[in-house]
Amino acid sequence: MKLEATRRKPAFMGLTPLIDMIFLLLLFFLLGSDFVQFTQSQLAPSRGTGGAQSPSQPAIISLDEDGALQWNGLPSSKGQVIQLARQQVAQDAEQLFVVMPVGAANVQTVMHTMDLLAEAGASQITLERDVFDIDLADF
Amino acid sequence: MKLKHTRREIKSIDLLPLINVVFLLILFVLVAGRPTTNHPNQIEVAQSSREAPYESAALSVWLKQDDKFYLTGDDPQSLGELIDYFAEKNTVGQGLVIELVADRRAHAKALLDFRQAMARAGVGEILIKTEFSGTATAATATNVGAK
Repeated sequence: MKLEATRRKPAFMGLTPLIDMIFLLLLFFLLGSDFVQFTQSQLAPSRGTGGAQSPSQPAIISLDEDGALQWNGLPSSKGQVIQLARQQVAQDAEQLFVVMPVGAANVQTVMHTMDLLAEAGASQITLERDVFDIDLADF
Repeated sequence: MKLKHTRREIKSIDLLPLINVVFLLILFVLVAGRPTTNHPNQIEVAQSSREAPYESAALSVWLKQDDKFYLTGDDPQSLGELIDYFAEKNTVGQGLVIELVADRRAHAKALLDFRQAMARAGVGEILIKTEFSGTATAATATNVGAK
């Protein structure tokens, strides 16, 4: 008996579900991905808790509520603070910088000031309320 | 002429595209309705131009906009309670790092209180979680002398 070879007609492949699934996967990954990049700012430990020993005195940067800065009591611009901090870091890489914000300043202003110092190469940055809180061993 | 009344055969409705579209709409609403905050519990993390690799710490404290501290949940913790909690976890003995997730709108007073309390408790290292806001602007780097 001779069998006749039947040629199958290719079925129509619907692309709509495929496209839908691709869109769904795309959206899933868009949602699953984290677009916010988090970083960290380290507060230098105080002397009593294992802080690094530095031969030079700490530089004190006061911060007002409106972001105005003082370098060791003298009003300074942001650029001047960066410049002075660079000079200090060039002399001592472990130079301690103490940021003293007023209580009414917001956290973002404090972080911005810390960024300025880090931009100048400072690695030891800490926060204190006033000069009386600074460990006397730092002087 | 007599017209033959033809009755249309109802074909089965393919539900797959409908379901897909519904899923897409749900996802669209989820995306569009996402809260503006970038962190749970309505914390807007402070922004920083410093790009440092982020490593999650063993212990996290949240400082919210109301200048109160939270560990988990919605109950604010006093600094004394935080110190007790860290003592219970033997934070100092194990040398664990404490991470502070501070809202950018919180005030420096709370930050200073926390710093001081942790120093008294013997906690050495504190990491403040920040959101990378891009590299430092050229203005801050080169505009020396300008306020």
